[in-house]
Amino acid sequence: MPNSPLQIEDIFSSKLRVKILKILWQLCEVNVSEIARRLRVNHKTTIEHLKLLEAEGIIQHKTFGRIRLYRFNEASPKTKAIQRFLEAWELAEKGQK
Amino acid sequence: MPLYCSVFEDETKLDINYIPSKLLHRESETRFLQEFFSFLLRTPEKMAQRVILTGDVGTGKTVLSQRFGIDITREARQREINLHYIHVNCREYRGSLFLILQHLVSVFHPNFPKRGYSAEELLSIILQILDEQNAYLLLALDEFDSFIEREGSEAVYKLSRLQEARIGKSQRVSLICILKNIAAIERLDASTRSTLQSNVIRLENYSKQQLVDILNSRAALAFKPLAVPEDTISLIADLALCENGNARFGIELLWRAGKYADGENLDSVIPECVRKAVSSIYSLMQKSDLTRLNTHEKLFLLGIARFFKENEKAYATLAEVEQAYAIVCEEFNTKPHTHTQLWKYLQTLSAIGIVKKSVSGTGSRGRSSLIYLPRISANELEKELTSMLEKEDAQ
Repeated sequence: MPNSPLQIEDIFSSKLRVKILKILWQLCEVNVSEIARRLRVNHKTTIEHLKLLEAEGIIQHKTFGRIRLYRFNEASPKTKAIQRFLEAWELAEKGQK
Repeated sequence: MPLYCSVFEDETKLDINYIPSKLLHRESETRFLQEFFSFLLRTPEKMAQRVILTGDVGTGKTVLSQRFGIDITREARQREINLHYIHVNCREYRGSLFLILQHLVSVFHPNFPKRGYSAEELLSIILQILDEQNAYLLLALDEFDSFIEREGSEAVYKLSRLQEARIGKSQRVSLICILKNIAAIERLDASTRSTLQSNVIRLENYSKQQLVDILNSRAALAFKPLAVPEDTISLIADLALCENGNARFGIELLWRAGKYADGENLDSVIPECVRKAVSSIYSLMQKSDLTRLNTHEKLFLLGIARFFKENEKAYATLAEVEQAYAIVCEEFNTKPHTHTQLWKYLQTLSAIGIVKKSVSGTGSRGRSSLIYLPRISANELEKELTSMLEKEDAQ
């Protein structure tokens, strides 16, 4: 895990991380297995990406027994920026259609 | 001229899921609920309560609970108490504790995974959620009978004694158990019964006048002014009374009658619309009921059908149907039977359920029997009887 904050290119350089951000944008709150299922990757890989995003303060999780639910960390300015970007992208896509 | 005219102003007010802002004739039951759960607005953390709401179909159990739930959560919000009212129909969840708890969790976390844990784990997850949000849950378990049937004592015990393993923590979950027959509770073991049985609110069946009031208030919301005559409301109330004072049946019948009025492009819901509506709800009257009648019983019944076909009335007096019967007898070249005999025929028809009798209220001289058709349209009945009588004549 790097100590210095990740650069924007580090976050967006991974297709899986971008997909995770999109999933959270669409569903608000999701458990690890569901994210893994949607990414079509294994549990371990999913957790690695989630941990990285969480370490950056972009997402957070809550544990209920054996279930871990991930969501955006609404208090983070980086999260706000990503959400605004995803929203604008969605609107642009709709506009093109 | 508009292409489509309707007697309805807003038919959603007759929907089964509509919750009126005020419930008629359930004031004392509402007050009981307020008393039982008043602690939720003062010291919700200090106690939890369990109340049973019981009564026949259509006595307003569900709507009473839902109205109360809306009102108490609004009041709690004003007092900055985080109270959630959740209404669960146990039958929709096949009476399963697991599925019900899963639904509860999904109210707070809609994407919570559907598999991978037990009912016990779900219970502790719900309590964790409520603790974290400092929230309180008033859980209404409708059709509680199906829950008892599927899960038995243990699950009910678990739900009703949630707090016992949480000594020193805030109380979080109160219950309203809604069931038709309190006898279902008898199936539970003694200790589970004792946790439930102390607070029982029984909803009595509605009387005719109460049904009239309820139907009038819904009609005022759902229909255009003057679209539903007094007679129509009274007929529906009588029919709902025959169904043990089932207001839900009456409201559905009112809606259906409105649809028949629209279908025939009428500007009001006449009693014949009600009769057509009711015959569409019930299975059509069995022909065998009619074939068992003797000729004069059939002629008398045909007279009744003709009377209602020709008059936009819901009720007829014996004198009125006697006149109609005399004309029918003339048509079939038969000498009419006497008044006493006709009274006997009326008893027979009433016992079979083809016609019903209602006692006239105030406004008319004395108290006389009023006759009405409870389950079949006058048109259909006339057609059926005419063809039977013509066949008999030909033989």
